[in-house]
Amino acid sequence: MNKRWLELSVGAMMVAGIAALVALALQVSGGSMRNVGHYPVSALFENAAGLGPKAKVTMAGVTIGEVVAVGIDPDTLMAEVRMQIYGQINYLSIDSSASILTAGLLGEKYVGITAGAEDDLLGAGDVIEDTQSALILEELIGQFLINLGDK
Amino acid sequence: MLRFVVDCIANLGAVLLHKLVQMGQALLMLLQATTVQPKASSLTRLIQQLYVVGVQSLIIILVSALFIGMVLGLQGFTLLSAYGSEQAVGQMVALTLVRELAPVVAALLFAGRAGSALTAEIGLMKATDQLASLEMVGIDPVHRIVAPRFWAGIISLPLLVAIFSLVGIYGGHLVAVEWLGVYSGSYWGNMQQAVDFNEDVLNGMLKALVFAFLISWIALYQGYSCLPTSQGISAATTRTVVYSSLAILGFDFILTALMFGGAV
Amino acid sequence: MHTDGIINLQNVSFYRGGRAIFEDLNCAIAAGKITAIMGPSGTGKTTLLRLISGQLQPHKGQVFLFDQDIAKIKQKQLNQLRKRMGVLFQSGALFTDLSVFENVAFPLREHMNLSADDLYNRVLTQLEAVGLRGVKDFMPSQLSGGMARRVALARAVAMGPEVILYDEPFAGQDPIAMAVLQRLIKSLNDQLQLTSVLVSHDVAEAFAIADHVILLGEGRVLAQDHPDALKTSTDPAVKQFIHGEADGVIPFHYPAPALQDELRGPS
Repeated sequence: MNKRWLELSVGAMMVAGIAALVALALQVSGGSMRNVGHYPVSALFENAAGLGPKAKVTMAGVTIGEVVAVGIDPDTLMAEVRMQIYGQINYLSIDSSASILTAGLLGEKYVGITAGAEDDLLGAGDVIEDTQSALILEELIGQFLINLGDK
Repeated sequence: MLRFVVDCIANLGAVLLHKLVQMGQALLMLLQATTVQPKASSLTRLIQQLYVVGVQSLIIILVSALFIGMVLGLQGFTLLSAYGSEQAVGQMVALTLVRELAPVVAALLFAGRAGSALTAEIGLMKATDQLASLEMVGIDPVHRIVAPRFWAGIISLPLLVAIFSLVGIYGGHLVAVEWLGVYSGSYWGNMQQAVDFNEDVLNGMLKALVFAFLISWIALYQGYSCLPTSQGISAATTRTVVYSSLAILGFDFILTALMFGGAV
Repeated sequence: MHTDGIINLQNVSFYRGGRAIFEDLNCAIAAGKITAIMGPSGTGKTTLLRLISGQLQPHKGQVFLFDQDIAKIKQKQLNQLRKRMGVLFQSGALFTDLSVFENVAFPLREHMNLSADDLYNRVLTQLEAVGLRGVKDFMPSQLSGGMARRVALARAVAMGPEVILYDEPFAGQDPIAMAVLQRLIKSLNDQLQLTSVLVSHDVAEAFAIADHVILLGEGRVLAQDHPDALKTSTDPAVKQFIHGEADGVIPFHYPAPALQDELRGPS
């Protein structure tokens, strides 16, 4: 067993393995945006059906954060959705609105933020009050039937 | 009748006790192998074993990864077309590989190729008194023979799993983009959005590390403790492959539940 | 507490699978001589060798090597003792991934700090002593069984031990190889002033070179004496072994019920 060839091939395997790991980090997975400091923001919804942790938070279709947890706010008895917004997105106005939307055919729920007009900005721990709840199929049908009945 | 039942229970107890003793011995061997003072010559031995265990497994890993990736691309495209979501095939291939298929399939192949080779080699050294010769020259065979092979396994498999993932994803690209016409930007773009380095890639690597530990330990113990006859060696080799495979699949379930169980 | 032997077994009992291989065995190996341990198959000759080398521990009694009770000393001290002892295994047990040269050099590299030239010269000298200097670059797989054993012998004496144990050195060898080994064992013992212990059942070969023979049987020492004395012994067990009689103290028939009772009658 030629020693040179042995050492060379083992070295090549190690390099290939580490290069594969690096390639997986850069090419395959999301990479950089994720871990640049974020700040917490929450929003209260009447109905947050289908929204869960790790769901996207977007504005104008671009991901600007993710949902951390969905729970009940004991004071208002509404659904409280806690989110993390990426640090770079520090220009959301205090009167921004949040809606729960459906993505794609498979029905994955996500939060969409629409910009407001105020000068004051959203900071860590602020609550978005202008919200639009998730569309519930039963309510839609009920609404439709009521409209039909009215005619 | 009662006699028969009592005998059965007694036999079961004896078998269990025997297994416990074996596990204890295996643990002792592991502790001995991992508490070695490394010397300069240990590095040479480690590199030699990295070649035998790692480099010689590369071919089967590369070929399998390529084919599995290509099949995933093909099947994924077919399935997703039904929902009009062919563009998502990139993330499907990548997530399946990185989270599950790369660690598990690479580990199973590794157990079959490198694991059985390790068991057979050590078993043969035991049967031809080479291990006893080492003892007679005043050298601990666990330090000299078992330890370098153990560390070689721990280092090799995670590297092979990373290579497997990458080659598989490329195989999927070949089929989906080059052949079936998925837009290259979508393939990689969707993938990058869906695959998280910490969540998916690193967890897959963690699985690989756990599997590497299990396979190396099982293979080395079976070789070290086998009956020093040709029948004993072949039985030990078979046990290595069977036990390793079961351990891989069992621990895969446990790890998957721990890592991905709570997420959407 | 020891008699004047470099290796001493006192009241040694060893059991395997519920059966007693040795029961209260006593024997001593004298220094500087060739001692042959002999007996029919299954009497535990190889087990005795393993007890001496410390690979096995006696269940009762003590084994003294160089005046030390090997059951009581630590692994490190045992390794130190083993450096003064060489073992030739039945199969040679050469390391298959090393060349002949590297095999013989192995113990020297491990335990001695020789310069490259000194090591080279020493290995060559050892190989010359066993007549195999010409194959120093061969791999063990390229050697015949007899040659492999001779290389293993060169490896066993490389460190200049005081005691050598041979496990069935003559087994399965052709007459020429046997003669070569005989000559080597005798000359090494005399030139290097070794104590040689060989386990064998080859009466002719072993008797030709042994100074003392210990005959084992039924878990104890049946007889021990100079080979010439044993040849003329009248003890029936000794006679049966030495003269190779098919039936005697050790019966031809393995114990079984009478044949008449076992045959099947007309149905």
